[in-house]
Amino acid sequence: MHTYEIFLKKDGRDEYRHAGAVDAANDDLALVMARESYIRRAEGDRLWLVRRDHVIVGDRDFVSPNADKPHRHHDGSAVAARRKASREESTS
Amino acid sequence: MPRTWTDMDDFEAFLDDGGIVEVDDDMPDEYRNAVFAFIEMHANSELMGGLTERDWIPRTPGLRHKMSVLAKTQDEIGHGHLLYMVAADMGIKTRTEMLEDLFAGRSRFHNVFHYKAHTWGDQVAIAFLVDAAALASQQAVFKNCSYGPYRRILKRIISEEGFHMRLGEDRMMRIAEGTETQKQIFQDSLDRWFWPALQLFGPDSKPNDVLLRWHIKSERNEVLRDKWVQKFVPMLHSYGFSVPAPDLSYDDETGKWDVGPIDWEPLKRTLAQGGPDSERRIREARENWERTAWVRAAMEQPDTVGATT
Repeated sequence: MHTYEIFLKKDGRDEYRHAGAVDAANDDLALVMARESYIRRAEGDRLWLVRRDHVIVGDRDFVSPNADKPHRHHDGSAVAARRKASREESTS
Repeated sequence: MPRTWTDMDDFEAFLDDGGIVEVDDDMPDEYRNAVFAFIEMHANSELMGGLTERDWIPRTPGLRHKMSVLAKTQDEIGHGHLLYMVAADMGIKTRTEMLEDLFAGRSRFHNVFHYKAHTWGDQVAIAFLVDAAALASQQAVFKNCSYGPYRRILKRIISEEGFHMRLGEDRMMRIAEGTETQKQIFQDSLDRWFWPALQLFGPDSKPNDVLLRWHIKSERNEVLRDKWVQKFVPMLHSYGFSVPAPDLSYDDETGKWDVGPIDWEPLKRTLAQGGPDSERRIREARENWERTAWVRAAMEQPDTVGATT
């Protein structure tokens, strides 16, 4: 038996989303089990199955290095403050 | 490296801050055990509920309702599948171990599945009262559940339980509009099922309930139970049925119904597998499990019986 992770896509605008998992002996049975367990009411019209032991998992420390890279973000507050100041200057 | 916490205080601060625990996190054993036990009982209840529903497929009146009972049965068994998967992933018991414990009477399932459904009216009362109670409990868990995999699976379970509740209300309206005999049959069913449905919420939550502290449940049992009472007592009255509570009273000032003292002994008996129909239900579920061993064997080794596509 293998565990398969199930990904469903609901319509053209959405990405595939993880829906859950099933156990099955082979790919064909996994497809049937996935349909009967997760897609009885149009929860998606496209289905991906991935064997869990084929999923490559990124280590959390490897995936989340962005906390120390503030230069990749700009929340716009500095620009907004300057814009506001110049607006007040011109109206005063 | 799995996500870790230095101690229980650190973990609880994470939960209080709205943190969501994932299956590969290094969660404290107490949390893992409590969440697992809760999901296992939910899974068992879905499966036992599905088997009860299945009993009624041949006896359901009318093709349309028979078809809807088929759909509901598949839903309940499906919910069992989904939940056993989430529970098994926690690494405490395998799905087979959970099923074997259930069929040996070693693990728990909800009180309402320890009673016998005598008539079609009982099935209607169950779909109406019990499904609503189960749905309210599940919604209260979904709202703020700190265990991510359970929360995500609850979302789809809840949407399907909504379908069951609407079916229940549809069926109840038909009975309410039926003959005097049909109405009497349904009143008898209400008399049998009102209290077990109310007791599904359990006794008042204890102050130190870890399920509340760890954000598995978002609401105290007595609050959910009271909401159910305030909704269903007037609704049953509006359809012309009475509520089997001798001490039922209405407070004009607060505008609230009070069902009076609750006898918790029946609930305790069901939790010890000593309900009126516990023995038969567990035995039949076990016999069903044994009878279908060949299906599982074929599913596990499909190539040996040429069962692929």
